[in-house]
Amino acid sequence: MAVHEASSQRSEADRLNKGGILDQLKRRPEVGSFIVMMVVIIAIGFASHGNAFNPLGLKNNLSIIAQFGIIATGACLLMIAGDFDLSIGSMIGFAGMSMSMMLKWGLPFGLGTATPVTAFLITLAMTLFLGWLIGTIVVRSKLSSFIVTLAFLFFLRGVTEVCFRIINQSTQISGLPDYKETSWFADLFGGEFFTWFYSAWYALGGNLNRAGNQWVSGFDARLLWWIIVAGVAYLILARTQAGNWIYATGDNRESARANGVPVDKVRISLFMVTALCATIFAACQVFDTNTADAAKGNLKELEAIAIAVVGGTLMTGGFGSVIGVVFGAVTFGLVANAVFFIPAIDGSYYRVFVGVVLLTAVFLNESVRKRITGGL
Amino acid sequence: MAEPIIRTEGLSKKFGPFTALNGIDLEVYKGEIHALLGDNGAGKSTLIKILSGVHQPTSGTIYVEGQPHAFKTPRDASQAGIGTVYQDLAVNPLMSVTRNFFMGRELTKGPAPFGLLRMEEMDQITHDEMVKIGIDISDPRQAVGTMSGGQRQTLAIARAIYFGAKVLILDEPTSALGQKQQLEVLKTMRRVRARGDIAIIFITHNEVHSMLVSDRFTFLALGEVIGKGTHEELHGTDIRHLMAGGVEMADLEQEIAAI
Ligand SMILES: Nc1ncnc2c1ncn2[C@@H]1O[C@H](COP(=O)(O)OP(=O)(O)OP(=O)(O)O)[C@@H](O)[C@H]1O
Ligand SMILES: [Mg+2]
Repeated sequence: MAVHEASSQRSEADRLNKGGILDQLKRRPEVGSFIVMMVVIIAIGFASHGNAFNPLGLKNNLSIIAQFGIIATGACLLMIAGDFDLSIGSMIGFAGMSMSMMLKWGLPFGLGTATPVTAFLITLAMTLFLGWLIGTIVVRSKLSSFIVTLAFLFFLRGVTEVCFRIINQSTQISGLPDYKETSWFADLFGGEFFTWFYSAWYALGGNLNRAGNQWVSGFDARLLWWIIVAGVAYLILARTQAGNWIYATGDNRESARANGVPVDKVRISLFMVTALCATIFAACQVFDTNTADAAKGNLKELEAIAIAVVGGTLMTGGFGSVIGVVFGAVTFGLVANAVFFIPAIDGSYYRVFVGVVLLTAVFLNESVRKRITGGL
Repeated sequence: MAEPIIRTEGLSKKFGPFTALNGIDLEVYKGEIHALLGDNGAGKSTLIKILSGVHQPTSGTIYVEGQPHAFKTPRDASQAGIGTVYQDLAVNPLMSVTRNFFMGRELTKGPAPFGLLRMEEMDQITHDEMVKIGIDISDPRQAVGTMSGGQRQTLAIARAIYFGAKVLILDEPTSALGQKQQLEVLKTMRRVRARGDIAIIFITHNEVHSMLVSDRFTFLALGEVIGKGTHEELHGTDIRHLMAGGVEMADLEQEIAAI
């Protein structure tokens, strides 16, 4: 019998080839989404003759990207914990309706006129409660979150329309006063930020309009909110105990529970997080445009999930990263906005692109997962 | 004889009309490996789920070091020093070794649950604890999915011990493993036994394994204890006969031959 001499000296530790930095990078969940993002940035840069990244293009693109990023971050955290939220879009519509109606018709129960602060806080209390309710139903009933949140997708959209019709007689509100002029709080959601960036651009000789004055003055507040939401989510997910609980909950729920992870609390909290993200999204919209519409946020839940998947989040939970979602949001935002910069295409191209990228991402994620888990 | 670390008295469990366990008396001593044997459906898993706080008994009492305990959650049981390593839900494959090791009991800086993870320290402890028990993992940040089944069991065992388990419950820890890895797990169990301060409850369908490592045996059949004893006391008795729930092997052989 031939037994290899060396086999007795080899230990398990030698068998994992850690590889160089490049190999380690390849094992990160964000690789795929990063590559796709770079391709899209370059392609759109060329196809738009640079217009997508001129001062106004940058502002508009980042505004859309930030919108996507805010809700996709919430969707990503929830998916890592193993759940879906299909009610995000309807929650956006509901929150926008709630805020704008209070601003137009006053606070409920005759509590007087609303300010942006009270309208926002009362709306937030309602949406957080709805998030808690959805989470509690999912956890208690042991039904799949897919079906419970699908119910809320219809329910909340219906409630939004009914409220609009009964109180407002129309499913739209427009021409609200421009609150960001008078309220710092409204300005926080609807105003402009990072004006230093465009001032610096102007000072360096760019950012000029036809008359030769400064052209664009600042980014939409959404960008700030996206940075805050993504930054906090990244920190929590990657660096804190709560983050470990989120991963554990989505990976193997029973195992997490047996090890003392408060699985139910984690799941309920994350449904509240997606509701929070939807509310921030709606507040930015309402205070920026001073309008609201019962159809706002339509299909946003699916885009949020698609972005999370393209960002490397596994549909089955337990794996994903906020950085990947940042890349995914940039990709989606640029393509969604491309119609404005590339005259030859329309919105249909965006949906074709989404379909292709989504499918590719799912295959890519599966192979990444196999790689990190050794083909599990 | 010393006080058993775990003793149960008349433990019963009914699932609706079905009696899964009926009056189980069990004594487990520290520094010993206690084999819990019995045929499929005998009630072994139900018994250990009661001991680990997953199920509540319908009647009967659990004594830990002489004190009566009623576990409402797995957390209660682990606080009383009972650590359970389930075959199927021991670890999370997509998470790193360290994150698994400290799952639910992370070392943090700052207010819970948003305290920052002390990752370096946790990596170090994980590595050291795994080495103590016989596995030198190269990278504590590798995903558990990349580890072998035996290594995963060992990880779960090391984790339970590190977090103060006085009693380790292993439900069929070897059943899904290849020969060599089965031996790894048995070796791990003997290393734990050698410490002298920890009791192991070992569930298996493998007669050879149970004879190899166990000091004491309890046999279950149809929810009741049908035999118990130490390694010496049982010497010569037909363990297979008891494991099969009291059926005569010769009868079984005849039945099989008749087909
Ligand atoms: N949650 C439950 N509800 C109803 N019946 C149950 C439940 N859990 C276990 N049982 C029943 O109790 C009996 C004992 O099951 P148990 O899992 O304890 O057996 P076991 O000895 O671990 O068997 P195996 O060797 O196959 O693992 C079985 O008949 C089983 O169907
Ligand atoms: Mg069993």
